[in-house]
Amino acid sequence: METLAQTLVSGVLTGALYAMIGIGLTVVFGVMRIINLAHGEMVMLGMFGAYWGHRLWKLDPFVSLLVWVPLMFVFGVFLYRFLLRRIIPGGELNTLLYTAGLSLLVANLALFAWTGDYRTIALSYGVSPVRPFGIAIAIPLAVAFVLAILITLALWLFLSRTDLGRAIRATSQNPEASVLMGIDVERVAMVTFGLGTALAGAAGILLAPSLYLYPTVGELLIVKCFVIVVLGGLGSVPGAIAGGILLGVAESLGAVYVSGAYKDGIGFVLFLAVLLYRPSGLFGAGK
Amino acid sequence: MTRALPAALLGVVVLAAIPLATRNSFFLHVCILVLMWTVLGAAWNVLGGFAGQVSFGHAALFAVGAYTTIILYLKCGLAPWWGIPLGGVAAALVSFPIGILCFRLRGPYFSLATLAVAEIIKLVALNWESVTAGSVGYLITSLPPVRLFGLNVNWESKTPFYTAAGALAVVALLATGWLRGSRLGAYLVAIRENEDAAEAVGIDTVRAKVVTLALSAFLAGMGGGFYAFYFRYVDPDAVAGISLSMEMVFIAVVGGLGTVAGPLIGAVFLTAVAEVVRGRFQTGHLIFYGLFMMLVIRFMPEGIWGRARRLTARAAAGE
Repeated sequence: METLAQTLVSGVLTGALYAMIGIGLTVVFGVMRIINLAHGEMVMLGMFGAYWGHRLWKLDPFVSLLVWVPLMFVFGVFLYRFLLRRIIPGGELNTLLYTAGLSLLVANLALFAWTGDYRTIALSYGVSPVRPFGIAIAIPLAVAFVLAILITLALWLFLSRTDLGRAIRATSQNPEASVLMGIDVERVAMVTFGLGTALAGAAGILLAPSLYLYPTVGELLIVKCFVIVVLGGLGSVPGAIAGGILLGVAESLGAVYVSGAYKDGIGFVLFLAVLLYRPSGLFGAGK
Repeated sequence: MTRALPAALLGVVVLAAIPLATRNSFFLHVCILVLMWTVLGAAWNVLGGFAGQVSFGHAALFAVGAYTTIILYLKCGLAPWWGIPLGGVAAALVSFPIGILCFRLRGPYFSLATLAVAEIIKLVALNWESVTAGSVGYLITSLPPVRLFGLNVNWESKTPFYTAAGALAVVALLATGWLRGSRLGAYLVAIRENEDAAEAVGIDTVRAKVVTLALSAFLAGMGGGFYAFYFRYVDPDAVAGISLSMEMVFIAVVGGLGTVAGPLIGAVFLTAVAEVVRGRFQTGHLIFYGLFMMLVIRFMPEGIWGRARRLTARAAAGE
């Protein structure tokens, strides 16, 4: 019983962070109908941002959110404005291949600059876990969980309460009608891509104290990310949250109760099953 | 076809002349890699270029071929010229269930599904230790003494591998050329341009795609079999990684999607870059692969060969 509770809790904690990565991808897909294969690399950049902030300026990773997230937003806006914008009219397969190239470029530039070493961020409060109700919770993971919830809440407020947020949701629902309503779709796309990139970076920063970081970590994360957004339905933010938590729990249950070796496989099998039988996601309206 | 024939003959003559002209083993090694990647690029191009089905999981088919070939050799002592085609056959067989599953999906969804299938197959290769030797992998320590045409084959030289890779590349390009002119090829172009319309005019799209995937898998599997003998080492990271799938995609796209000679051009270009850079930095070539991919998609989505053909056609029309 204790093991089960422990497993569920750590699954939910990791799942919330997965969800954040998924939200970034799904928001971008919703507005632009593109699948950004370089999304994992944006998470990786966030992780390394946290690492170097901590290493060079003794900046706490969670404080460094305030520095890196705006920078990642600007980076995303630039990526869209100067690179992706010209590619998108060429069709979704071109965009897919283009972002695959971008992903390879960024990951290997990082490999070149930072070598392939596995790094960790050693935090003074990361050594001993807290134990509420006998369940061990690593403090960095708990802090990351709380921050992830706060960021997601802020995003939800932005999307539902502000004009720009409403414009994003409108474009996501019906691009043609949005243009007719006078929404500057081009600007919406730019902001959305920046937002997606910032979310990926933020997730990377939150994950950094709990994971090994290395330049090709994005490869692993992007695959998880696809599982999440497909589970929840491409383009759906609540779906991505549910999918992220589902994957986190499935993985940690799988690691304990199924062979540790095949635990990564559970996600993929789930993924294929959902893709084939409910392509609009577990919680989607169905086609 | 009348213009393609002399070009193909010239290509074969040049191919045959290279090992006679040089004894530089590094140069031969690069040529072997170019030919191997031509096979792999052509394998991907058959499906991705002609049928427009972008697979991100072709490494799985390559891995099936590599494992089949190396296991048949180590456990049953089957010679390379049987093992490599059988690797292709095994990959083709594996491709049927994959195709039947994944072809229910379209566009990016298909691509994501193939990615997941490839990851599952990699996990199987990692964990099914009684067959695949897990993460340890298989190593070929010695190749059999063989007499061919009254001569002992010298496995330490590059020439037998060059010949084999050349033969595979010729097979792959001939198969692509045949496909382009065939009824199936016409079906595939119809599917690529508009799948609903293709279905509406009575093409069995799923069957056309499954058959094409099997052909593509056969070529990729033979490439894997060749890889196993040439590098003499097979493990899940080497033969089933995402980056291998991506490299196949890049070669076909940079060379020219849906063209016969594109994969050869892409392989020459990218392998040359890779070998020049590799001396300085192990995975540095991937930086350039990524960069070229982006430049090609941005400035010439039809690829190097596709662009060259369009320019020559324009020049011919201008005369």
